[in-house]
Amino acid sequence: METLLGIKGPDFVMLAADTTHARSIIVMKEDQNKIHKVSDSLLISTVGESGDTEQFTEFISKNIALYKMRNGYDLSPRESAHFTRKNLAEYLRSRTPYQVFMFVAGYDPNAGPELTFIDYLANALPVNYAGHGYGAIFASSIYDRYWHPNITQAEAYDVFKKCIAEIQKRLVVNLKNFTVAVVDKDGVRDLEPISAASLAA
Amino acid sequence: MSILAYNGGCVVAMRGKDCVAIATDHRFGIQAQTISTDFKKVFHIGPRMFLGLTGLQTDILTVRDRLMFRKNLYETRENREMCPKPFSAMMSSFLYEHRFGPYFIEPVVAGLDPKTMEPFICNMDLIGCPNAPDDFVVAGTCAEQLYGMCETLWKPDLEPDQLFEVIAQSIVNAFDRDAMSGWGATVYIIEKDKITERTLKTRMD
Amino acid sequence: MARRYDSRTTIFSPEGRLYQVEYAMEAISHAGTCLGILAEDGILLAAECRSTNKLLDSAIPSEKIYRLNDNMVCSVAGITSDANVLTSELRLIAQRYQFSYGEVIPCEQLVSHLCDIKQAYTQYGGKRPFGVSLLYMGWDNKYGYQLYQSDPSGNYGGWKATCIGNNFGAAISMLKQELADKENVKLTLADAKDLAIKVLSMTLDTTKLTPEKVEMATLQRVDNKTVYSVLEKPDVEKLIEKYTKVQAEAEAAKKEKQAKQPTK
Repeated sequence: METLLGIKGPDFVMLAADTTHARSIIVMKEDQNKIHKVSDSLLISTVGESGDTEQFTEFISKNIALYKMRNGYDLSPRESAHFTRKNLAEYLRSRTPYQVFMFVAGYDPNAGPELTFIDYLANALPVNYAGHGYGAIFASSIYDRYWHPNITQAEAYDVFKKCIAEIQKRLVVNLKNFTVAVVDKDGVRDLEPISAASLAA
Repeated sequence: MSILAYNGGCVVAMRGKDCVAIATDHRFGIQAQTISTDFKKVFHIGPRMFLGLTGLQTDILTVRDRLMFRKNLYETRENREMCPKPFSAMMSSFLYEHRFGPYFIEPVVAGLDPKTMEPFICNMDLIGCPNAPDDFVVAGTCAEQLYGMCETLWKPDLEPDQLFEVIAQSIVNAFDRDAMSGWGATVYIIEKDKITERTLKTRMD
Repeated sequence: MARRYDSRTTIFSPEGRLYQVEYAMEAISHAGTCLGILAEDGILLAAECRSTNKLLDSAIPSEKIYRLNDNMVCSVAGITSDANVLTSELRLIAQRYQFSYGEVIPCEQLVSHLCDIKQAYTQYGGKRPFGVSLLYMGWDNKYGYQLYQSDPSGNYGGWKATCIGNNFGAAISMLKQELADKENVKLTLADAKDLAIKVLSMTLDTTKLTPEKVEMATLQRVDNKTVYSVLEKPDVEKLIEKYTKVQAEAEAAKKEKQAKQPTK
C-alpha cells in the first residue's frame, strides 16, 4: 500500500515516498520518513513489512558507514546496491527473511547517478525510473510518457507531482503526503514535500 | 504460476560451423508487469564463453556471482582460462549442491574451447542435469516456442552470418508469442577470432 | 636465557621482543631476493630464482610471482609452502570482496586483510608465524598503481621501491640512491626494468646474472584494463646484456681516466 517513486536524470536521482504508517485498517502516523540519508551522496528509500524496513535499512546503512570508517572512502552507489542486494538475497533463503522493497540512489563523481530497484526477493536492476507499491501501478504510464534522457530536476519534480495527483485520485488508499529528496554532485538534500494541499494550491 | 516464470525472459544458443551463437531477450518484469526493458540475461564470462541464465532474477544474479567466484579462483590457481566444458561441469555440481533448496534458474552455456576451438553448447535444469546436444539449446518462459522455431530453421554447418539469421528469427518469433518475454533482443556470435554483438529491433508490446 | 621465551610466539621476552617473529624475519633474509619498483606508467616485480636445476619441469611458468586477481600480483620471499597458503588465502579474500560488492578489491584492503591473519599467527597460542614476506603490485581506481610490502609480524607499508629477501638492506639503499638522483625525473617502466636488473646483479651473490635466475613481471593499465605480463626469457636476457654493456663502458671509461692521470 505504501508507495516509493524514483527517477534518474543525466546528473541526479530523485526519490519520493509517502509518509503514511498504517497497520491493518488503521493509520498510525502521517509523518513517517521513508527516505534515509546513508552517506553524503547515497539515499535509500524503503517500504515493506514495518519493523523489517527499519531493521534492514539500519543494518545496511551502518555497514556502509563502517566501510567508510575502516577505509577512509565511501562505497560507490553501485557497490552499495550490490552489497544491499547480496544481503537481502542471503536473508531470503534464511529462516528470517526481510520483506522489504527499496531504491538505492546515489551519485558517483566518476560513474554519475545510479538508481537501483530492489524488491523483497532481491530482484535488483539499475533503472531510469520505477516505483514500488500500489501507487507505482499508476506511476509507470506517467513515467513512460514524461521521462526523457535529458530530464531536469524541475521536470522530474513535476513528474512526481503528476504521479502523486493520479495516486490520490485513483488509489483507494489515502496517501496524503509525500517527501521528496534528491542526490546529485552536491550531495543529498530534501525538496518540498508534495501533498494533497500543495497540489491543490 | 511457477516461480521460474516470475520475471519472464528467455535465452537460446545454437551451434554453427566453427562458431556458436547465443541470444537473449531484454524484458525484466514482475509477473505481468514489465519493470524494465533493459535486462540482458547473457553474460560474457570468458574470452570465448557466454553464460545465459533465465528464471528468477534474484537467482540469476546470485548464481552468476557465485559461479564467477569459483571460476576466478580456478583461473588464478591454474593460471589459465576456464574452458566451457569444465565450467558447465562446475555449474552442474554447484546446482546439485542445492538439490533440496534449488536456485530457480535454467542456465545455458555457449562458447568455443580455447585450445581446439570446438563449438560447445549446454543447458541444464535448475538442479544441474546437463544436456549438451550438437544442435541447439533453449531456456525460459517461451522454451516450447523456441523449440518449434529452432527445429524448423536450424540445420547443420551454418556459417556465422547464416547462424545469426537463424537464431535471430527463432528468438524473435518465439517470444512474440509469449507475453512474459521479448521487448528487444541481443544476439552474440562467437567465432575463433571475433565476437559480434547485435541488438535486434522487435515488437515492443 | 632466551630459550625460555622463544619457544612460544605468544610470549614477550624480558627485553620486550617476540623471538619467533624475529626468527621468521631472519629466515626470510636468507631467502631469494624480490624487489618491486613503482614507475609512472606501470609497476614491476623482479624475483631471484634459486632452483635452477635443469631437471625441473618448465611447464610452470612462474614459481615466485603469483597473480591474485584482475588487478593484483604478488611475489614472495620465504618458505614456499607457507607462501602457498597465504597466496590462496589472498585469492579467497579478493574473490569474497568481489562477491560482496561486485567490484575488484582495492589494493590496500587486500594487503591489510592478509596482515590481520599474519598478525593472528604471532599472538594466538600453538601457532608459529608465517615465514613469508610479500611484495604486492596492483592498481585500483582509488590510488592508481601501488606497491606494498608485508612481513611475518603483520606489518605492511606502501613503497615507491623496495626489496625483501637476501641482501635486502643493500638493495634498498641502492634503490634509495638511484631514485634520490631522479627525484624530479619521471621514472618510466623501461627505466624501472633496467634499474631492477642493475640492483639484482649487484646484490645477488652470484657473479653473473642469467635469465634463468631472474623472474620479472609487470603490471600496466591499457585501455582501462589491467594487463599483467611475465617477461619472457629472451627479454630478460636483452636487459641483462644491456646492463653488462653499460657496465663495461663505464669500466672502460674509468680505466681511461685513470690512465690519463699523470703518474708522479
